[in-house]
Amino acid sequence: MKIEVTQEKLSKALNLVSRIATGKVTLPVLNNVLIRVDNKKVTFTTTNLDMAVVDYLPVSSSSDGVVTVPARLLAEFVSNLPKGENITISAKDTKITISAGKYSSTINGTLADDFPELPEINEKEAVVFKMGVDEFKTGINQVIIASSNDLTRPALTGVYFNTINNELAVAATDGYRLAEKILVDKVESEVAAIVPTNSLQEVMRSLGEDVEEIEISFSEDLVRFRMGEVEIISKLIDGSFPEYRKLFPADNDIEVELPKDELTRVAKLAALFSREVGGSIICETKKPGSFSVKSVANEFGENDSEIETEVNTEGKVNLNSRFLLDALNALEENKIIFTFASKISPILIKNKKSKKYTHIIMPLNS
Amino acid sequence: MYDVWKNVLAEVEQKVSKANFSTWFSDISLISTESGNIKIGVKNSFFVKQLRSRYFEDIKSALINNGVEVKSIDFEIQATNKPKIKPREVTRSDDTMRQHITAKRAQLKDVASQETGLNGRYTLSNFVIGSNNDLAVSAARSIINAPGTSYNPFFLYGGSGLGKTHLIQAIGNEILKNNPKAKVLYIPMPHFYADFVDAVQNNKGKEFHKKFQKLDVLIVDDIQSIVGKEKSQEEFFTIFNDLYQLNKQIIIASDRLPNQIKTMDERLASRLTWGGAFDLQLPKFEDKCAILKSKAEFDGIEIEDEAIEYIAENINTNIRDLESELAKINLIADVRGLTPLELIRSGAVSVQKTSKMHSVSARNIIDKVARYYQITTKELCGQSRVSNINNARQVAMFLLSKELGLSTNKIGAEVGGRDHSTVMHGIEKIENNLKLNFTLRDQIEEIKEKIYG
Repeated sequence: MKIEVTQEKLSKALNLVSRIATGKVTLPVLNNVLIRVDNKKVTFTTTNLDMAVVDYLPVSSSSDGVVTVPARLLAEFVSNLPKGENITISAKDTKITISAGKYSSTINGTLADDFPELPEINEKEAVVFKMGVDEFKTGINQVIIASSNDLTRPALTGVYFNTINNELAVAATDGYRLAEKILVDKVESEVAAIVPTNSLQEVMRSLGEDVEEIEISFSEDLVRFRMGEVEIISKLIDGSFPEYRKLFPADNDIEVELPKDELTRVAKLAALFSREVGGSIICETKKPGSFSVKSVANEFGENDSEIETEVNTEGKVNLNSRFLLDALNALEENKIIFTFASKISPILIKNKKSKKYTHIIMPLNS
Repeated sequence: MYDVWKNVLAEVEQKVSKANFSTWFSDISLISTESGNIKIGVKNSFFVKQLRSRYFEDIKSALINNGVEVKSIDFEIQATNKPKIKPREVTRSDDTMRQHITAKRAQLKDVASQETGLNGRYTLSNFVIGSNNDLAVSAARSIINAPGTSYNPFFLYGGSGLGKTHLIQAIGNEILKNNPKAKVLYIPMPHFYADFVDAVQNNKGKEFHKKFQKLDVLIVDDIQSIVGKEKSQEEFFTIFNDLYQLNKQIIIASDRLPNQIKTMDERLASRLTWGGAFDLQLPKFEDKCAILKSKAEFDGIEIEDEAIEYIAENINTNIRDLESELAKINLIADVRGLTPLELIRSGAVSVQKTSKMHSVSARNIIDKVARYYQITTKELCGQSRVSNINNARQVAMFLLSKELGLSTNKIGAEVGGRDHSTVMHGIEKIENNLKLNFTLRDQIEEIKEKIYG
């Protein structure tokens, strides 16, 4: 087996695939990257048995063969080689030689026999969506913040892709807040699948600037993301996601329009005084036109800020400042709508114009 | 069968390396072997692929060597990191249980019968009996056994959401069960009025009258809405008299006593209570717990006793509110993945203690407590340390803290300028006594009723 490729390309590919070869699994070969050359087609593959990353590397010349090499070691060695060098990787049995100009090293690899075969998407049955990388990135970033890392509730440790009314929506919740984004307006096929947050984070990291379109294929228990030269395959989470649309409050009677920047500033100020009480801050509407944000720290003092706005109904609500800041950070427009109710009901925050993003937060006990 | 599977795994273990075995075989399980179709449960599709492509023959030969018939082998994905199954999730995910509940609900949903106006879901067996309603229920029982003989007319009154409609409809249903030929009619007063107006307009007044005269049991709900409808009142009075003469059972429900219904004909008002007036009261703490438990059981909600006690303690309005609070807590707990008790402990929900009640002032509570213990407000807020006064004072502190959520400093000021540590001690003492002392618990319930009543 032999490959010739530039340092930049090789280093980029290795960095990408080596991240999930972490050695958390009992099988040593999973620390390795599988390098396969088959009729000029070169692939680098790693897996942690929950997901797999495959990089199709364009090379200048090659000869067939397959081998596995410790992924981290190879990635670090290559990234320290001078940029612009042409690198040659060649394998003889399980010994890999990497040479670039005057640098050369030999790494002990293993035979590829133990490297697991990867599951494949059943192309006939798969449901496929294509979308622009920018929309995908924004949408996922907006919802992934609300996902949970509580392993006792596996269904919440992922992002839920589902189709409602011919729209493709993504949603995530940790039980205290929930975010939903409509990713694609018009879709023909239907899907309801929970993609693990970890896998999605890996997808987000792999989205280079040169990629414009992402293709997502769902089969019964697998999902595949294709973006440029990289392909990520992941298991889906086996579980049922809550029927979250039922949680959207329908009768919040208090609604105010607020400038996002200002609300962010006052929420940050209030957060400073709310550390003692677990981030709890109080938002209050007062007639004729003020929205105030308060927090009290018995030991250090207190904070009280106001924003002018139109108020129809008076009321107040306690919420976690961190959740509020996360939500504000995820909203795109500068004018936002903040609604809550006088009884216990979730707080709903959305953009003034765009209806694609919905964020709800459960209030705290006052 | 499971022992055979262990043998199969042991045989595979000898053929593959240790690392491979612990990676691929530690999480797999045998689901079924029915008629040679082997089903094996694995973690995810990565495992399906690997086991199928690399270890299929090993598994197959090991199965055959252990005497298992093999026609086909299938792999099925089973999430292994399933959460520890909490009791309530067992009932949730258990399909048969869920079907059972939906079936039960559907069965109950059948609308009120055309002929009698009764809804079959109201029965005596699902009416929770407690000290707040046992008198009314025992009267209801004797009516069911012998309609028209005792307690005629049967007059039932009480605030909304305490079960009036449930009880009177249950009487009708039970009578029908005992004697399917009995002619029973349940009619809310507003319907009576509307039907009467209809009949008069179509010149069918006589037929209307006859329809009622044929009845064996007449059940009228919400009679308080008779207000100001003199013609229908007159008609009702005639029907009432006719049926009464014939010793037919008449059952009436209202939210207040007849003499408190304005513009009700005096003759009618006095006649309505001839058979005695029975009231449904606010349930006491134990009754509330019993109601919540039976409701939870009925809806298939798993909830801890402590959570039930918490809800019972904090809802003082009526049974409808109790049940809706239970449903609300269950929903939020379900979404958060907590049990109801964990949810309440986390402080994420606040039971709306004084929902739909007129607001109560600190003065008001102190006055009521003083009156209950037959001392003056001055004594309560004074310096006396006589034990009965001191006890009343501590009850007042306790109620101020639980009902109004006042700070200990504020409470101290309200009960005569006492130090906050004195208040804390007082509240604590009552809380501790409450656990053992049932008389005190009853007293506090009674005072609460007085405060909110």
